[in-house]
Parts: sequence; structure tokens; C-alpha cells
Amino acid sequence: MADVQLVGVTKRFGAVTAVDGVDLHIADGEFVTLLGPSGCGKTTTLNMIAGLEEVSAGEIRMGGRVVNDLSPFERDVAMVFQNYALYPHMTVGENIGFTLRLRKRPKDEIRERVARVAEMLELGQLLDRLPRELSGGQQQRVALGRAVIREPAVFLFDEPFSNLDAALRIKMRGEIKELHHRLGVTSVFVTHDQEEALSISDRIAVYRAGRIEQVGTPEEVYARPASRYVGRFIGSPQMDILVGELVRAEDGAPAYRLGAGAFPVPPALAIGEPVDLGIRPEHVHLGAEGVPARVRVVQPIGPATHVTVEWDGGTVTARVGGIARYAPNDGIHVAFDPAGMVFFDRETGRRVELGGAEHG
Amino acid sequence: MSARARRRLSTWGVRVGLAAFVVLALGPIVWGVVTSLYPTSALTNVPPDLDPSQLTLDNYADVLASDRSLTRGLVNSAIVATLTAFVSLSLGSAAAYALARLRVPGGNRILLGVLATQMFPGIVIAIPLFLVFSQLGWVDTYPALVLTYLSFTLPIVIWILKGFFEAIPPQLERAAAVDGASTIQIFRLVILPISLPPLFATGVFAFIEAWNEFFFANILTRINIKTAPLAIAEFAGQYQTLYGQMLAAAVLASIPVVVLAVVFRRFILQGFVEGAVKG
Repeated sequence: MADVQLVGVTKRFGAVTAVDGVDLHIADGEFVTLLGPSGCGKTTTLNMIAGLEEVSAGEIRMGGRVVNDLSPFERDVAMVFQNYALYPHMTVGENIGFTLRLRKRPKDEIRERVARVAEMLELGQLLDRLPRELSGGQQQRVALGRAVIREPAVFLFDEPFSNLDAALRIKMRGEIKELHHRLGVTSVFVTHDQEEALSISDRIAVYRAGRIEQVGTPEEVYARPASRYVGRFIGSPQMDILVGELVRAEDGAPAYRLGAGAFPVPPALAIGEPVDLGIRPEHVHLGAEGVPARVRVVQPIGPATHVTVEWDGGTVTARVGGIARYAPNDGIHVAFDPAGMVFFDRETGRRVELGGAEHG
Repeated sequence: MSARARRRLSTWGVRVGLAAFVVLALGPIVWGVVTSLYPTSALTNVPPDLDPSQLTLDNYADVLASDRSLTRGLVNSAIVATLTAFVSLSLGSAAAYALARLRVPGGNRILLGVLATQMFPGIVIAIPLFLVFSQLGWVDTYPALVLTYLSFTLPIVIWILKGFFEAIPPQLERAAAVDGASTIQIFRLVILPISLPPLFATGVFAFIEAWNEFFFANILTRINIKTAPLAIAEFAGQYQTLYGQMLAAAVLASIPVVVLAVVFRRFILQGFVEGAVKG
């Protein structure tokens, strides 16, 4: 067991800087996800933690000791790869036990430990099969088994579910989470899937172009995104970003004007300040009050319906519970929950802190 | 024409094409085997007298007893072909692995250069090669033949194996490294076992190339290391050609190649297919 600390970690490939001065502390036993679009440096970061990629600058520490120059094996990390990377010529049992064989453990011990891991991952019946004879989910479990048998200080996961179909992916999320709960091993998980990150992480580090844009719990990055980028990246359907202006309404209260519509905002904002408004679908209310608008698109998804509405000055998507009975071109009124409004500086894209008022 | 009729027509088209190809490829071999089993007199009649009662193994007996030393030629061919295959594989697999996996400076240019060596007709290099080997005193020695053969087997081995190595996901090597394997262990326990089919395939390919080669062998050998194809050719003399014996010798010389191809057929098919996936 160990904590993992990245201090100013940088990776350059020739003239390209893939990872640029990343600082991150992952506590012992914590499950942290590196989240970002492809090419943002998250996998490179993971490979550097693993020792598969050299660090150009900065330090990686595990359990307090600098590991920059140690091999993956000496770092005592285990890794699960995107395409599983099972040894195709070895059986399930041999795959799982390979690391023990390399360490010259006695045959009996290997057999016993493989059996124990196989039972935990429900692979007991498959030990003599070759990887190509397994389904995607089973292959994934073998890859997990190969990591688990090591009893490593740190687990590293590189987009382990991206080759699975949607249903299996959700099931495997549950299994990883349960495994982490049971073993309590420090874990670093890389994904581009924001929902996956939200569902399994203790904390999420959101990457953007080689840097960490925000680190926080799933609630924090969802409800209080550090920037317009994080706000847009996390959540599905996406947060709507609206460009209007802060004005004083006829009654004197502050409001955000979007074309013909004005939406009341929390009082902590300075009138005239150039900010963009971010609003998530669940904070958009459709009904009899608010700005007159009309329905454009209705997308029922089962437990809820996504309704896109527009008015002269903006378009937003609302999340309405259940199967909503709207039709395109229906007239309706749209209102925003002030507590769910997020404001971003128009210049920098950073979120404007409202002194806690936005969660009132 | 209905879609079904069109499909049936195209199926038949493919069959006719394949049949024509098979006749073209196998016809001479069948005729060669037949010829080797009749006395020359029966074959020089017009039309040939293919009465089964005339079938005989005399040609084979004569060939093996003949002073034209087919046996010696077979041994020489075996030595040259085995050396060629072995060196092609050792050097070719190392070069291919490096070109596929390591950041070799100018790697693409090296690959193009390797391919470019194949663009010259043999006759262009035959004379200079002969002169060089004469100077070295290597004419009529094994190294001269093996080196020459390597110049055309090695590039092909490198290209085929490079395609195969590139198709191995790099994560496999990374996984082995994380599991605690050293570079040598990774190669020995992971890369080598999954590379056996293409290694067999390219090895057999290099062997057959060297085994069948006639042109350079004719130029670069005198007496000592005459290979099987040369020994066969000697049955065609100035005054008469012993067709029966010549083809009996050719059939004998084909046996090792056919055996190799049959034994390793599975590997060869698998090897070429896998190499092709990402070529």
C-alpha cells in the first residue's frame, strides 16, 4: 500500500509537450480517475506512474520514495490495459500466474494463489482456456486477475472498459468498485468517459492539453466546475453555455439577459460583468412561468425526457422526469433554477466564485 | 439476369479460373513425374507410348548410380539452403523487430533501401558478384552462395516479419514488463512463442528459394559445391538429353521442398495471414 505523488511531472516527445507540470497527490487507498479527451496526456501520465514511460522533468513518489528511475516491477504497480494485453499463447491460469512464475515462486503456491484469484473473479471454470476462447468480459476479468494476484501497492487502469459493450461496461464498473472496496489498494484509472469517471472515483482529475484543469470529488467537478471546459466536459447532456449580459431587471433585481428573455440570478454578481452562464438540464424548468419559448426537439430516454427549447436569444436543453408529452413547436415558458446557475469569466473561462450563494 | 444467376455465373467463373491456374501450375509437374517413370524410348515415340506395362523405376536407379552426382548436389543444396534459412531468420528477425519497435533513425529509408535491392535483375549483379568472389577466392565455396542468396531472401524476410511484429500490440510487452519480465524474458517467453508461425513461414520460404536457385549457382560454382539444380541440368548433354533420368532427378530434388511445405502448411498459412493483417 502506498500513496502516489506527482510533483511537476512533465513529458516531452521531441518538440511536443504531452504532459506539462502535473501536480497531484493520490492518498493511500484512494481511487483517482484521470479524465479527459484523447490526446490530453492522461495515458502518458499513467505510463509514467507505471514506469513504462520516462519522466522528462519532475518527480514521482510512491510511499514517500522517489521512483523516477525504478522499473515498473520495482515500483510494485500492476496495470490493466485497454486491449487487455493477455498473452495469447498462455491459458487463463498461466496468464494470471505469469508474474509469480517470473518470481520463481513454488508451483504449489502459484496454483493456490491463481485458484483463489480465479474464484474471486468467477474464472474458476476457465483456467485451462486460451484468451481467444473467452468473451470480452471474461478477458477483461483475466486482465484484472493478472493485476490482483500481484497484491501490488498501486493499481493502474488504462481505459480498461473501452472495448466492452455498454451493458458490460456498467457491470464491470460495479465489479472494479467492489474490488477496490474489498482490497483498498490505491488505484489510478484513466478514461475519456465522464460518466464512468463520476461513477467510480473518489476524486477526478480533469485533464486539458497536458495539464490538470481541476481535481475534485465527483460532486465538486459536476456541480462546481472550475472552468467552462470542465463544465462542458462533464455531464450528459452537456451543460449549456449561454452568452448574454448581466442587467438590472425592471423590478431592480439582477438578471441575465439573453435576447428577449431575462432570467433572475443570485444577487452576488456585479451588474455589467462580462460572464457566460452555464446551466445543466436538470436546472432548466419548463412550465407556465418564465421566458416564453417554443419546443424544438423532444428526446425521451426512459426515466426522463430531454427537451430542447429555444426563444429569441438562446437555446437550452431541459431534463424533465418521466416521458414528457411535448411536441415540437409547442409554446412553453422556460425558467432557470438560480442555485444551479454557474458563471464563467468570458475572457479566461474560469468559474466566477459567488461566495457560496449559488448553492443557497 | 437475376442476382442469383449472376452469383452462380461468378462462382463458375472463379472455378474455371482456378482450374486453369491449377492445370498451368501442376501440368508440367504431372508430366515430369510421368516422364520419370517411362524409358526414354517410350517417350520419344510420336505419339508417346504410355502403356502402363512400360512403367519402370529404372530412371531412378540410373540417376542414383550415375556419376553425375545428384546425391552430392542434394547434400550441397541442403547445406546452402539450411544456412540461408538460418541466417535469414536470425538477422531478419532481429532487424525486423528493431525496425518495427525501436525508434531507428532513418528507419523508413532503411526499409526502402532494403526493398530497392530487389529491383535489379539478377544478371546485372551476377558479373560484378562473380568478379568480387573471384578476387576473394570464394568462387565454388559455400559462403559465396549463401551470401548471394541472403541478398534476396533477407529483404523479404525483413518485410514480412516487420509486418508481423508491428501487428503485435505493444501493450503485450508492456504488460510483461509490469509483470516483472526482463527484456530477454519478454522476448523469450512472450514474443518468441507467438512469433513461431511467421518464423517458420519465412524460414521455409528462404529455404525453398535457396534450394531451387539455378542462375547464380551456375555462375558461382565449379565442381565442389554444385547444387541439386545444376546436377539435374547436367542430364542434358551435348549429344543427347536423358529426359527420363533428368526428370527422375528433378522429382527426387522436389521431395524435401514438398515435405517442408506440407509439414509446415498450417504454420505457413497462419504466418502469412497474420503478417498480412496489418502489413
